[in-house]
Amino acid sequence: MIDAHELILAYGDRVVLRDVDVRLRAHELVAIVGPNGSGKSTLLRALAGTLVPQHGTVLVDGVPVHALSPAARARCVALVAAEENADGDVTVRDAVALGRLAHRPWWQWNGLPEDDAIVDAALARVELVPFAERMLETLSSGERQRVWIATALAQQAATMLFDEPTSHLDLSGAYATLDILRSLAGDGAAIGVVLHDLNLAAASVDRMILVGDGTVLADGPVGDVFRSDLLTRAYGAEIAVRRTDDGTMVAVPRRRERVLV
Amino acid sequence: MAITLRRSSSLLALVVVLLVAVAIGIAVGAVTLPLRVVLAALAHPHASGDVAAIVWALRVPRVLIAALVGAALGVSGSLLQSMLRNGLVDPYLTGGSAGAAFTIAIAIAIGLPTPTYAGLAFVTALATTVGVAALARRGRGISPERLILAGIAVTSLFAGLTTLIIMLAPSAGVSLSILSWLGGSLVGHGWTDLGWAATYAVLGFALAATVVPSLNAIRLGDARAVALGVDMERTRWMALVSSSLLVAAAVSVSGVIGFVGLIVPHLVRAMCGADTRWTVPASIPAGATVVVLADMLARTAAPPIELPIGVLLSLIGVPAFLFIAFRRRRTA
Repeated sequence: MIDAHELILAYGDRVVLRDVDVRLRAHELVAIVGPNGSGKSTLLRALAGTLVPQHGTVLVDGVPVHALSPAARARCVALVAAEENADGDVTVRDAVALGRLAHRPWWQWNGLPEDDAIVDAALARVELVPFAERMLETLSSGERQRVWIATALAQQAATMLFDEPTSHLDLSGAYATLDILRSLAGDGAAIGVVLHDLNLAAASVDRMILVGDGTVLADGPVGDVFRSDLLTRAYGAEIAVRRTDDGTMVAVPRRRERVLV
Repeated sequence: MAITLRRSSSLLALVVVLLVAVAIGIAVGAVTLPLRVVLAALAHPHASGDVAAIVWALRVPRVLIAALVGAALGVSGSLLQSMLRNGLVDPYLTGGSAGAAFTIAIAIAIGLPTPTYAGLAFVTALATTVGVAALARRGRGISPERLILAGIAVTSLFAGLTTLIIMLAPSAGVSLSILSWLGGSLVGHGWTDLGWAATYAVLGFALAATVVPSLNAIRLGDARAVALGVDMERTRWMALVSSSLLVAAAVSVSGVIGFVGLIVPHLVRAMCGADTRWTVPASIPAGATVVVLADMLARTAAPPIELPIGVLLSLIGVPAFLFIAFRRRRTA
C-alpha cells in the first residue's frame, strides 16, 4: 500500500533520517519504534504525505503521495497525529463526521447522504455509540483516542497511520487500542503505528521498523528486530531481551552501576 | 438532535431579534415615529410626504448600513478567531481596520470620490492582515500571541500615520471630516454607499462560506485538519481575503468600529456552540443587531448631539475584551 524509497527527511538543514526504504502492506500491523527524537513521527508524517522529504519518493498505491491533492491524499492515507489540543466543545459525532471531509467538495458544508451510515459504523467499531452526543472535553484519554481512531475509520483510507496512540493510556487501555488496530489490519487495512513501549509493540504487531542513529536500523518480523544488539545500538543503553513463559519477548534495560566519585 | 435543535432555535431567535432591532432602529431618532406609521411607510416605498422621506431616505439606508457593518465585522471576527483558534483576535486587533482607515484618511484628504473607499480599504486591509500574519509566523504556523503583538504594533503605526494625514490635510474642514469619520460614524451615507459596501460584503460572505468546512476541521487541531485533507494554505488565504473584503465593506461606510468582531463570535458561541457551520452564519444577525442597537443608542443618548458609534462601542467593547481575556487566563 505504501512504498517509500531512499528517503532523506530533514527540518531545514538538520537531517533527521536518511536512506529510508520501508513498505507497509495490506493486512499488516507494523510498529515503528525507536528512542525519543529518532525521527519516528517524522517518518510517519512523510509516509502520510504531510511532510515533504528532502529526497526520495513515497508511493501510495503506486502514486507519489506528494502529487496528490490534500483531499485525495486523505482518501488514501489516514494519519492520526500524536496528542494535540482539540477544542473540547466538539461532539464525538461531529469529530468523527469530519473524517468524511475529504470525500466531498471542500466548500460543501454537510456530508453526503451515505456519510451518516459510515460515521455510525465507525462509532460502533470502537464502541463509542453511547458517547456520540458527548463533548470531547468530557471524555477520558482512552475514549478520546477511540474518537481519533473512529475519525480515521470514517476516512475509509486503505492505509492508516497512528502516532503514539497509546501515550497517556494505562496498560489495559493501551492493549485495547492495539487490539482495535490489529482487527483493522485483519480487515485488510495497512496499519503503521509509532509506539514508545517496546514490549507493547513486541506483543501486538506483525512487523517492526526500528529507527535509530539517523536511519532505519532494522525492519522485519518481531523476532528479527527485537534483538539485544539492535535495541542496545538504537537506544544507546544496554537492553537485554527475554522470553516469558508464553513465548512473548520483553526488553529489559540493564541497570548500570553508578559509581559516585 | 438536542444540539441541532438548540442551534436552530438560537439562530432563529437571533434573526427575530434583528428584525425587531431594525424596526425599532427605523422608528427611533430625532423624530420618533410610531411603529404603526413606520410599518405603513415601509409598505408603501413610493409614497410622498415627510414620514416616507424620513423612513426611506434617511432611516432605512442608515439602519441597513448599520446591519451590514455589524454583519461584516461579526463574520470577519468569526473567521479570524476560527482560523487562529484564538478568541482574542478580531480585525481591529490584527491591524486590518487601522490599515484600511489610513488609506481612507488619505482618500478623504486628497478628495477621492466615496465609491473608491471600499476598494482602497480592501487592498490595505488585506496587505496589512497578511503583513501582520507574516510577522506572527512561527515555524509552520501562526503564533496567536505574536499575531496580537504585531497587530497592536501595526495598528499604532497606522494610527500615527493617520494623525499625520489629519495634520497635513489641506484645510481644517477636511481634517474634521477625517476625524469624525475615524470616530466611527454612520452619518451622511445613503443608498449609493450601501450599494458599494454591500458589493464587497456579499463577496466576503460568499468566500467565507467556502472556508467554513475547513475551519470546522481546524477545531480538531491544525495537524489533524491537514490529515483530514484540509488545504491549510488555501484555507488561510481565503479566510484572510474574505475577512479583508468584509473589513473593507465595514470601514468604507462606518470608519473604525472596534470590538464588534471580537465580541460577536463569543456571543454566538455561547448561544449556538462552536461549530463554525453555525457560528459563521449566526454572526450575521448577531453582528447586525449589535451595531443597529449601538447606532440607535448613539443617535438618541445625548440629543441633539450624535455620539460617534465607534467611541460608543469602544466603551462597551473594552470591558468585554478585558473580561474575555482575563476569563481565558483563568481557564487556561
